[in-house]
Amino acid sequence: MIKLDVFQPTFGLDKEEENVVVPKEELYCSTPLAPSLRWNVLSNNAPKDLTKFHHGTTTLSFVFSEGIVAAVDSRASMGQYIGSGSVKKVIEINKYLLGTMAGGAADCTFWERYLGMRCRLFELKNKERISVAAASKILCNTVYQYKGMGLSMGTMIMGWDKKGPHIYYVDSEGTRLKGQKFSVGSGSTHALGVLDQGYQWNMSVEEACELGRRSIYHATHRDAFSGGYINVYYIGPDGWKFISHEDSGFDKHYQYATEKATQQQQQMSIS
Amino acid sequence: MDSVIALVGKDFVLSAADTANARSVIVMKDDVDKILELDSHKTLAMGGEPGDFVQFTEYIQKNLHLYEFQTGLQLSTHAVANFIRGELARLIREAPVLTNLLLGGYDSVSGPSLYYIDYLGTLEKLDYTAQGYASFFILGTLDRYYQKDITLDEGIELMKRCIHQLSKRFVINQKNFIFKVVDKDGVRQINFE
Amino acid sequence: MYNKQHLDPHDDTSAQRPDFMPYQNNGGTVVAMGGEDYCIVAATTRLGLGFAIPTRNVCRYAILNDRVVLATAGMYADTVALHKVVTARVKVYQQQQEKPFGLFSAAQLLSNTLYYRRFFPYYTFNVLGGLDQDGQGFVYGFDAIGSGEKVKVVCNGTAQALIQPILDNQVEKKQQYENKQIEKWSLQEALDLVKDVFTSAGERDIYTGDAVDICTVTKQRGVVVETFPLKKD
Repeated sequence: MIKLDVFQPTFGLDKEEENVVVPKEELYCSTPLAPSLRWNVLSNNAPKDLTKFHHGTTTLSFVFSEGIVAAVDSRASMGQYIGSGSVKKVIEINKYLLGTMAGGAADCTFWERYLGMRCRLFELKNKERISVAAASKILCNTVYQYKGMGLSMGTMIMGWDKKGPHIYYVDSEGTRLKGQKFSVGSGSTHALGVLDQGYQWNMSVEEACELGRRSIYHATHRDAFSGGYINVYYIGPDGWKFISHEDSGFDKHYQYATEKATQQQQQMSIS
Repeated sequence: MDSVIALVGKDFVLSAADTANARSVIVMKDDVDKILELDSHKTLAMGGEPGDFVQFTEYIQKNLHLYEFQTGLQLSTHAVANFIRGELARLIREAPVLTNLLLGGYDSVSGPSLYYIDYLGTLEKLDYTAQGYASFFILGTLDRYYQKDITLDEGIELMKRCIHQLSKRFVINQKNFIFKVVDKDGVRQINFE
Repeated sequence: MYNKQHLDPHDDTSAQRPDFMPYQNNGGTVVAMGGEDYCIVAATTRLGLGFAIPTRNVCRYAILNDRVVLATAGMYADTVALHKVVTARVKVYQQQQEKPFGLFSAAQLLSNTLYYRRFFPYYTFNVLGGLDQDGQGFVYGFDAIGSGEKVKVVCNGTAQALIQPILDNQVEKKQQYENKQIEKWSLQEALDLVKDVFTSAGERDIYTGDAVDICTVTKQRGVVVETFPLKKD
């Protein structure tokens, strides 16, 4: 007889049984189990569309006097094909922590969800919130175990903890960097060109959000793999706040274009 | 791309490392500290594959701390060098970590000493050396100007000369360097323009 | 001394043939669309293999319960394996918890099941459709390794690039900046649209044809399957 036990979810199949319909290891993964490290069939020229669902992306975040701003685009491409134009690339890990995603869509969502679980477990064990440094290191150490197996992930872990606002850049190579200003993805060079030049430490939240938005807009304009909507988040002492969701290629484009045109007209009339 | 340089003087070891972290052609961060303080009297300057060397050197550092807690003894520079070499030699056959290191240390038995360690497990005790692309440009300079038992001031002058040479001839412009010296008083960072 | 090897008691590294590549593409197209009080999940029945058609009548959908349906394009052997795993786990859950498996949970389950095989993936492209607690229809689209998104309408499989832009344009009024009023589709209108896109795709995609199984999910009737014939060439 199969014993069903809610607290030991082995489904009564902890002994080798015949006629098991489902492969054993898959029945056991009632918690988000890490994928097996044993085989990597993908190294033997597997079909290209298997892992093609990638974000050619632009994401950025920076610290300023009032907190952190994160801005991202929303395009997911599979080679030439736009797989989706409305991806949420900012992952809400908990009330005080955000993660951005660039690289493989599944890799980012899975491991940042897993990170959310680890952060919650930390809270339950220690009766306090996890620091951004610790959270980012959990993610870094986890993906470092899979180094060389083809994971693709470039993420920024952002949050406000006891020591204030922090950003850590973590990628699938195992790099983990603390910094004030990061941009990740295929459009990052274009975004940095706007962000670096327009950045100041002392900005209002509105100015900072607009700088982030503008940087992403210029990246979506120049980088074919970036586009869709611009999502902006702000992190202050009370946790993160969703700021805006705007169409980059249409609404924002014509807004900025008309602004620029009127500016030029004014200058013409002055001179 | 990492440039790390180190030299031994009369009663000190001086290490220098650039502070850039680059991903393809983008500088992600320009104030990285690539000289890890292993314990009170040892520095480990590192270069190689990003990710790998941070994980590996922290693993070494934590093991040394554990050893110190368990035995109350601090390992000599020589012992640590051989421990690192052993771990690299094991890992090259399991899961290679691409990391090149310069270990500097000061202990009461052998005074200041410098060890060159690469990812294959090569270990060599040297008076002055460099890792990465920097070695192509400044080993000549070091051969020409290095003298045994130089003072700290002379060492710093020589190091400045090396970095000047790098900025003159190396196509990648590494703006900032970090300097750490280890002597009988321990490890300290030194700043100069 | 602390040794890394102690961390890894299950180190059963096995040899793998360098040319081990157990994949084939059997084609197929799946579409899902959610409405106010219904959900449509449709899957073609042709099994393609290169230029050959081994059979014209395979089942590419799995009814998980009376309000969630999964449809899968891609390699057929993996489709069968995946459906077996997912239906089994849904059944175990429902026996254990004595409550039906929700749409959102099914999406998360599917995502985790797919990602668990990150380095030996199921060669499958899934859509998941059904009704949520309030009886509203929603659908999810997934890639082969478990990245998914909640959307109004989605297409996956070989005719994805042919069908998805039409669905975006008609259902979500994408690219229609003049007349952006998003109207509600009745079940009959939605069914007609789905039949139309499959008929059109059948003319241009060699792996789409023969017939399409259309599962209609409603609160009143549960899952009802009809087979809509396509051209047989």
